Amino acid sequence: MASITTNTHLFGILLTVGCFYLITLAKHRSRLNWLNPLLLSVIIIICILILGDIPYDHYMKGGSVIHAFLGPVTVVLALPLYRQRKLLVQHKYAIIGGIISGVASAIISVVVLSRLLGLNDLLERSLIPHSVTTPIGISVSNMLHATEGITIISIIITGILGASIAPMMLKLLRITHPVAKGLSIGTSSHALGTTKAIEMGETEAAMSSLAIGVAALTTVLVVILMQMLGWY
Amino acid sequence: MKIFKQLFIILGINLAGELVSRYLNLPLPGSITGMIILLVLLLTGVLKERHIRDTADFMLQNMGFFFIPAGVSIIVSYHALDGFYFETVLVVVLSTILVLAVTALATQLFINLSEKKNGKHNN
Repeated sequence: MASITTNTHLFGILLTVGCFYLITLAKHRSRLNWLNPLLLSVIIIICILILGDIPYDHYMKGGSVIHAFLGPVTVVLALPLYRQRKLLVQHKYAIIGGIISGVASAIISVVVLSRLLGLNDLLERSLIPHSVTTPIGISVSNMLHATEGITIISIIITGILGASIAPMMLKLLRITHPVAKGLSIGTSSHALGTTKAIEMGETEAAMSSLAIGVAALTTVLVVILMQMLGWY
Repeated sequence: MKIFKQLFIILGINLAGELVSRYLNLPLPGSITGMIILLVLLLTGVLKERHIRDTADFMLQNMGFFFIPAGVSIIVSYHALDGFYFETVLVVVLSTILVLAVTALATQLFINLSEKKNGKHNN
């Protein structure tokens, strides 16, 4: 009886839309800005699947339909880049220098720390794109033959952490230039961090949203280069 | 109708990206090639922002929704984390702090350098 309801495309789509809608609604009503609809939806859906003894494959019948939209979602990331094109040209050296340093430190620190702490190879690969915006992070995860699920969770943790510590960290490091503030937030903690950059000011917000796309593309290029060189 | 037209354009560019990646044997995933194609089309003026704006903004503003199934997939891959939950979170936390600091300091340095250089030219 239960599987008649769950083993359909409709089940996964309905459950995902319902969860996301209700949590987003609760977020707006309660003004709890730290509520993360993606993370909470994932947790609630996993609980429902476990408690209801519903097979993952049943959920994924509908889930894969939504998952298929990752392609177009990645494509439209070009739009924020296009909108910030003037800033991109104006600050090209700072952007190139800052973002390459950031992307390199992300990859190197994951590899070094993972090996120091004894993480297995699969985990190490899955964490490499933790600072990258989710749709491209998933692409990088697949390029590295890692697991999407772990990559996504690491991306969400990064975003929440970045958003909460960025203002304090930047003050501590005496970063005063709005370009440096925005660029570092977008590079380290993608769209979730950018919500904090928006509170800081117009330049910070624009640089942060620009950095999301540039840092993601830079990471993809660095990973391709690493694979060509025979690492990973 | 507008939404369908915009969705058609976005999906079409996605498909073009997949085809270009496959037939040119690019190491880039098709969706990222698609993103670059869209950027080029916008920059060259072949495509105007209004041709994709509403659908693109809907996707950008509600991006999280599209990642839910990929996030739920951790239900079949969490075994990789066995015994390393704390260490994994630690790697992510330390790496995030480091990336934030390095990017901020490097950017500030590059800005100072280029401002100094410009100053010299002016004098």
